[in-house]
Amino acid sequence: MAHDGAPGAGSGDRTNDVGVRELTELRDLLFGGERRQLDELRRRLDTLEITPEELAEKLPQAIAQRAARDRQLAIALAPTVEAAISESVRRNPHEIATAIFPVLGPSIRKAIAETMSGLVNTINRAIEHSLSVRGIRWRIESWRTGVPFAQIVMRHALVYRVEQVFLVHAETGLLLAHVPEDTEADADLISGMLTAIGDFVNDSFEPRHTGELRGFAAGDVTVLVEPGPQAYVAAVVRGQAPETLPSRLQTTLETIHLQWSNPLSAFEGDAAPFATTRPLLDECIETVVATDQPSSRTGWKRFVWVIPVALAVGALTWWATSGGRRWDAAIARLDAEPGITVVRSERAGGRWNVSGLRDPLAADPGVVLAGMGIDTTDVVARWEPYVSTESALLLARVQRALNPPGGVTLSVNRDAVVARGRAPQAWISRAETLAPALAGVSSVDLSGVEPGLPADMESARAAIEGERVLFPVGSAALDDAGRAIVASVADRVKALTDAARRNRYNVTLQVVGRTDPSGSANENLALSRRRAVAIRDELASRGIAATMLEPNASGSADPLPATAPADRARINRSVSFVVQARPLSGPRGPERVR
Amino acid sequence: MIQKKICMVGMYGTGKTSLVQRYVHSIFSAKYHSTVGVKIDRKTVEVGNETVNLLLWDVEGRTDDQDIPASYLRGAHAMFFVADGTRRDTVDQLFDLRDHARDAAGDVPSIVALNKADLQDQWVVGAQETSKLISGGFHVLKTSAKSGEGVEDSFKWLAKATLGSPPSATDNQQVRNAR
Repeated sequence: MAHDGAPGAGSGDRTNDVGVRELTELRDLLFGGERRQLDELRRRLDTLEITPEELAEKLPQAIAQRAARDRQLAIALAPTVEAAISESVRRNPHEIATAIFPVLGPSIRKAIAETMSGLVNTINRAIEHSLSVRGIRWRIESWRTGVPFAQIVMRHALVYRVEQVFLVHAETGLLLAHVPEDTEADADLISGMLTAIGDFVNDSFEPRHTGELRGFAAGDVTVLVEPGPQAYVAAVVRGQAPETLPSRLQTTLETIHLQWSNPLSAFEGDAAPFATTRPLLDECIETVVATDQPSSRTGWKRFVWVIPVALAVGALTWWATSGGRRWDAAIARLDAEPGITVVRSERAGGRWNVSGLRDPLAADPGVVLAGMGIDTTDVVARWEPYVSTESALLLARVQRALNPPGGVTLSVNRDAVVARGRAPQAWISRAETLAPALAGVSSVDLSGVEPGLPADMESARAAIEGERVLFPVGSAALDDAGRAIVASVADRVKALTDAARRNRYNVTLQVVGRTDPSGSANENLALSRRRAVAIRDELASRGIAATMLEPNASGSADPLPATAPADRARINRSVSFVVQARPLSGPRGPERVR
Repeated sequence: MIQKKICMVGMYGTGKTSLVQRYVHSIFSAKYHSTVGVKIDRKTVEVGNETVNLLLWDVEGRTDDQDIPASYLRGAHAMFFVADGTRRDTVDQLFDLRDHARDAAGDVPSIVALNKADLQDQWVVGAQETSKLISGGFHVLKTSAKSGEGVEDSFKWLAKATLGSPPSATDNQQVRNAR
């Protein structure tokens, strides 16, 4: 209660004091219990401190309630929990490792297995392209059995034997179990030494204590070590250990850590509790030999698949090699062709490619290839022009340049050309001029060529020019004898034109009319013209082309020679014939050697 | 059958390897000492009805206790120290060696073989040193590689000690009396 009276008040104050005291006592009597409760509540509100007992009572419920409500509790606790774990790991990594080892092992193994699976696929693809006989055999086996190719390769390529497996106490190096049983009397010494070697490796190389010894190899023997927190397994493998073995050992070790957790922790040298791990360890013992692939199929059934495969392979091989063989033969033929030199021939981009040198006068390569049964639409050819000095090409080139008439034959002796036969003087002169300019030709011998027409033409010419048709004095009329002569001449002209065509000559026949010296020159000239025209018409009527007949009036100016004067007048009342022949000019057209 | 890991430790020249050589089963040659630094042998001891295989880790003796790899001592069930009775320094070193062993293996039963007992005329270890060792917690025996004295006893004591039998005080007494 408040006392508002000033200090040092008189007796009135004292009376008041008594009143107040009584009032207080009365109040305590009436409200004491409630007031104490109020005070306690006020104290609690003021301090808000919770006793450990109270907290222990409420904490689990409080955590559960708050965690159900929102994530604030987790957020608040996270830094502390992280710090606690890292502190624990720093102080004693062994404890954490032991605790999470059975959980962590499988997860890590799964992750690694997935990575390895990708790697194996890559390798698988790489191997797919290897076409060794063995690879093909394995591929066929994979196809036949439905087993992935990679597994087939493993089965064949990896030959190994897991001979012994040790289960060793990590700290002491004491032997916990060993399989096969009773095969190694000194397994305890070996497990001790294995541990010592592991320690030795760990102690000897920088940085120290980097990890556990995972294995070592000596010659054909590999010792694989799979370490665990309390025990490790060591497998003695002869041959090439498969990559799956370490993970199998690891699984075994994890199982042992899980199921023999108590005996491992309590181990004081008594290996008896670990005798029961032997069946697990025994599963790691195995022998894999390349040839022992037992099959449930027996006898010929095992080889039924061989027949279609062999037929298919045979057909494919025949198809592939016959195509190749035919091409090779065609290329050899092409290369043997004069004026063609094959430099490169290959199969690329699904087509045949051929390239080389070709003399423009050489045979058409496409025709040669087609003649050998090659589909030329499947061929890409590229030829560089060149001048061949092969005899056949040399001859062709000389033929093309000199264009000899039919009566001339050319031959080649090395690089010298020899011409023989008969040819017009004009051709001989021209050949002499051209010869030095011929590429690849050292000389052209024209001494064997006589001026003149080819023999068959010459005989016809001589026969035709030896004939004459006689006329009576002052007449241009043909009598029967004259007609007979014209008929004979017509036959010979036909023979001549045939021979000229063969020898590529152009021939014309001059029909020369004459008269005896009597009479005036003009009259004689006109008479001789009538005589020539009459014979021309007679010849034309007998099938001789008028274009090759040239009537020619000589009158009496160019008489035929005669020994007797009487004969001279008679033989000049006539028409005679002059054959004019000249080689056809221009090239013979495409010259083919073949 | 019980196995126990025993570490045999001693300064260079105390003759620990030749001390046990005739009494243990060995498949590893002495060259392991110079290579790996340890050689493991087996001694089988019968204690009552129990067969104990002592796996003896014969750690290469060097000139300094720091040279002994702690990893080899890890997990040892007992320590087998060997000192040369004719060289006081090998005895004086024992306490340092034991401390080093304790760091690695904990406080395990320890025995000291005072070797070369056959060389009595050169013997330098007196009763005072022996008492000091005994009071320091060592079980002390005199041994001789030449006569085989004390070797089997050492193994018996180690087997018993590792099985949990308290080291007998009378054994130590015997050594004192022998002096």
